[in-house]
Amino acid sequence: MKVCVDYDKCTGLGLCESLAPEFFEVQDDGSLELLQTEGAESQRAELEEAVRACPTEALSLEG
Amino acid sequence: MVQTRPAYDTVSVGSLEFWAKTPEEREERFRILRDERPVSWQRPAEGSMLPQEDGAGFWAVTRHADIQTVSKNPKDFCSGQGVMIEDVPPDILEAASSFLAMDAPRHTQLRKLVSAAFTPKQVKRIDEQIKDQARRITDELIEVGDCDFVDQVARKLPMWTIYEMCGLPAERRSDAAHAADGMVSWSDEDVRQGKEPAELLNDSLITLINIGIDLAEDRRAHPRDDLMTNLVQAEVDGVKLTDEDIAAFFVLLSVAGNDTTRNTITRTLEALTRFPDQRKILQADYEGTIGVAIEEFVRWASPVMTFKRVATRDVELQGQQIREGDWVVMYYASGNRDERAFADPYTFDVRRTPNQHVGFGGGGPHFCMGNVLAKTQLRALFDQLLHRVPDLQGGEPVQVVGNFVDGVKSMPCTLNL
Ligand code: HEM
Ligand code: SF4
Repeated sequence: MKVCVDYDKCTGLGLCESLAPEFFEVQDDGSLELLQTEGAESQRAELEEAVRACPTEALSLEG
Repeated sequence: MVQTRPAYDTVSVGSLEFWAKTPEEREERFRILRDERPVSWQRPAEGSMLPQEDGAGFWAVTRHADIQTVSKNPKDFCSGQGVMIEDVPPDILEAASSFLAMDAPRHTQLRKLVSAAFTPKQVKRIDEQIKDQARRITDELIEVGDCDFVDQVARKLPMWTIYEMCGLPAERRSDAAHAADGMVSWSDEDVRQGKEPAELLNDSLITLINIGIDLAEDRRAHPRDDLMTNLVQAEVDGVKLTDEDIAAFFVLLSVAGNDTTRNTITRTLEALTRFPDQRKILQADYEGTIGVAIEEFVRWASPVMTFKRVATRDVELQGQQIREGDWVVMYYASGNRDERAFADPYTFDVRRTPNQHVGFGGGGPHFCMGNVLAKTQLRALFDQLLHRVPDLQGGEPVQVVGNFVDGVKSMPCTLNL
């Protein structure tokens, strides 16, 4: 599945990073970097948790 | 067309009498409202320093799902016209609230400058220092013995952490923390000690602003590798922040970072005393349980009870006609006991999953910036307390009367070592 970030909504706080650090990393300037865009099926639960935790609804999964 | 207002709700959640009640007593009223009138029209809040300008009243939003709707919809429910349940003089609002009381795009720009210091990676950098400090605080507790838990333990770590991040000199920390208390507890007579609410707020604010301005000046002259230096060097659209902007950040951090975490610590000890089986779960496997448990600490404590938004247009919510300009108050403390969102909401359950509490806010752009930092402190402190003072017991808490933060002034504790 594909991981999508809506950068207009993201406030760069990194709740996603604390749940799925292999995918998300907030940089020193506060911007979010997506480390991988493709998630394996075995990582779905972890990614779904990150999507749910994002306070600004900036994350979504496709496929 | 002139619309008439509904009558004021007979179940009041805005009076001083209401705020003087314990959380359990307040919850009796929240429960009625959640079940019967989830969005209710309330009399203007009492005990204000300024009467509400139009004198009308406000909407109380008490269900978990509706709090999220309001919080995640800043276009309809804005922060720029104030976020407290009382009218605060506009100059104070600006000097004290920084981006807490702003909307996009200015909110987004300013918040980004500070939030970069609060990401998981940055907080990890000071994790060891926070643990060290938690160890010292526990050393002192063991040395002193039975005491007031708030003064001896709960207040120390949040204060130390925030002022360490700002690089505030040690000799000014106690003044700053005292003033930060005055900023949130002006309606409590004990804290006021004879002063008028507006006077106490004003004095506290001036103290904090002066400390903030001194810090900013110092870092302009002597740059270091810290948060305050980053702020004096930062630019928004090519314009540097003024000393007043930076002082307002400092005020915001002092207020938001101090008593929120302190009260969570105090209420958590109270809960661990009341629910000994939950304490045992943590003690049996701290590393394995604390991550999930911390969310329950925050849900249970709900130290920030309310935040306000102002409607930017006419909107309907739960069948109520909210008009442009109306005050809409989110009751996080109620949302965190909503049986629609939590099974057995009155049970303190350190293994509760899922736990989508609204203690750090209902989501959206203002979601608590310090949440990772607060959780890091809670983890470090209870690691020490639960292992080194395993039978630590909290006594009867003495509350602050106020409509914003559920403050605990003091709570005796016994070590039983
Ligand atoms: C357990 C402790 C804490 C609780 C329960 C808490 C709760 C909250 C809540 C409810 C909000 C408003 C969210 C909203 O309007 O949607 C907030 C905002 C904020 N918090 Fe916390 N907080 C805590 C600790 C901290 C700490 C340690 C700091 C850091 C220094 C901090 C800094 C902030 C800031 C700067 C904001 C304003 C964010 C904005 O308007 O964009 N908080 N907090
Ligand atoms: S949790 Fe959401 S807002 Fe925060 S950094 Fe991740 S995507 Fe951005």
